[in-house]
Amino acid sequence: MEARQIRRNVWRALRAGGSGHMGGSCSAADVLAALYFHRMRIRPNEPEWPQRDRFVLSKGHANAALGAALAQAGFIEDAVLDRFYHLESPFGMHPDIKMDGIEMCTGALGHGLAVAIGMALGARMQNQDFHTFVMMGDGEIQEGSVWEAALAGAHFRLDNLTAIIDYNKIQQSASVQEVMSLEPLAEKWRAFGWHTIEIDGHNMAQVVDALEAAPQPHKPTALIAHTVKGKGVSFAEGSYLWHNNMVTEEVYQRAMAELNA
Amino acid sequence: MNAPAVSSAAWRDRAANQTRLAFGQALLEIGARETRAVVLSADTQDLVGIRGFIERYRERFVEVGIAEQNAIGIAAGMATTGMRPYVCAYAPFIAARSMEQVRNDIAYARQRVVIGAAASGISLGVAGGTHHALEDLALMRSLPNMTVICPADADETYQATLATLDIDGPVYLRLGGRMEDTPVNDAGAPFRLGRASQLRAGNDLAIIACGALVDAALRAADSLRQEGIAARVLNMHTIKPLDRDAILAAAHETRGIVTAEEHHLTGGLGGAVAELIAIEKPTRMRMIGMPDEFAGIGPTGKLRAKYGMSAEAIVAACRQLVSHR
Repeated sequence: MEARQIRRNVWRALRAGGSGHMGGSCSAADVLAALYFHRMRIRPNEPEWPQRDRFVLSKGHANAALGAALAQAGFIEDAVLDRFYHLESPFGMHPDIKMDGIEMCTGALGHGLAVAIGMALGARMQNQDFHTFVMMGDGEIQEGSVWEAALAGAHFRLDNLTAIIDYNKIQQSASVQEVMSLEPLAEKWRAFGWHTIEIDGHNMAQVVDALEAAPQPHKPTALIAHTVKGKGVSFAEGSYLWHNNMVTEEVYQRAMAELNA
Repeated sequence: MNAPAVSSAAWRDRAANQTRLAFGQALLEIGARETRAVVLSADTQDLVGIRGFIERYRERFVEVGIAEQNAIGIAAGMATTGMRPYVCAYAPFIAARSMEQVRNDIAYARQRVVIGAAASGISLGVAGGTHHALEDLALMRSLPNMTVICPADADETYQATLATLDIDGPVYLRLGGRMEDTPVNDAGAPFRLGRASQLRAGNDLAIIACGALVDAALRAADSLRQEGIAARVLNMHTIKPLDRDAILAAAHETRGIVTAEEHHLTGGLGGAVAELIAIEKPTRMRMIGMPDEFAGIGPTGKLRAKYGMSAEAIVAACRQLVSHR
């Protein structure tokens, strides 16, 4: 339910902005819904609550989906979604820490995992029990800095950290396989010392179970969520063209007709 | 304020007149004053001399390995939780390789992360151009929210490091290498962020210097004094925010300004001064620094002389400035 609403709100935001990163926003919608409406310990009316669980959207270009989740959860006004890309809006293509509910400015790829490790270490040093989640794109993990951080997460034995990879198999130019293949991906994370789980990122029961499972002691968790780029709207699914595209009123109406069916 | 946790005799002895080691010593004091202070190393424990901190505050020390991007990202994440990270790093690597993390994760996101950047300028002279940091001031001062400090001696470094506790945003603290820096300030002289300290009075011209070249500026001024030229010397330890008042006063009250720094002539202290006076009070100027080329290999002192970052070069620039009416 919430995931479908996130997708509707993604299209709504992109209509307001005239364009946007639909594909990666909609592939992430189910995991975001599971985090914000089932798993994370949050207080939307107290966004700076020190004990809150942290979420870093390292694949910052999916900010339309994060903004949708934050609006649905009550961190921000619903009307903010209609100001996507607008002058002086807090809601742009990438997360900005100045907006309630946003933990870090992201979007330059390959930054979020290190930041999340810092949050997890900060929790440990201050004897706080909050959990830190970070979501990366599959193309994103072509950045070398991700692997610096992957080493560190395991080295520091951060069982208060979960890295989610939104594995939708398509990046800006073409398929991940064509651009720079990642396979065998789960084996890579395991070899780096992470407790690694693979799930269907659109099967809510699987997503929730994986997020709510107790962490393996002294190991960070890597959750590889197999997803479909542009999930929810037939003409956008599985196409690199919808990584980032124009959204006209006509396209918006066609998409909403499918999402409301 | 409580009595310092570390005696001045003890830290001065261990700092051995090196700014990089004075930073490491100041961290020990910061560890005592601020329970949220955490020190990160990128395999740089001895570079800034933090084994004392590690021994005393093991639980507030993080070794991230040879991974500068990771160091800045982790520091930024820690800062969001209320910790006060101090990143110990090599200037040539932290300013260049992790520039994007510095820009986005700590400057744009305005996190209270302090970078102690040792081995700046051509202090690693023999290591060659891959290990020189002659563009770091230009990079760092171009970032909004960033405070940029380039102390001239160990005492100033110590005071400046303590001063970072009160700075609400990221800080780049530029530190030297193994060469001793001659003390240019009176021991215990207060460090005032963003306020240049005037080390010599004079109204014929002004030498505005930072870091290792402050000592050269003083020697130049003393030499010029014997020729009857009274040079004002300003130690511009804070590159950003720049002390506009002191620079404009020099522009109004003297016949010209000579800047001196161990940095490319593009975008550093000289550039910052020129940007200001070009608009506010056009003034004759000369700039001492590294020309637009990569420095060769060699001992730091000899490289400084070769590329004109010396008292002699400052004297020559000053003479030229006063002789042109």
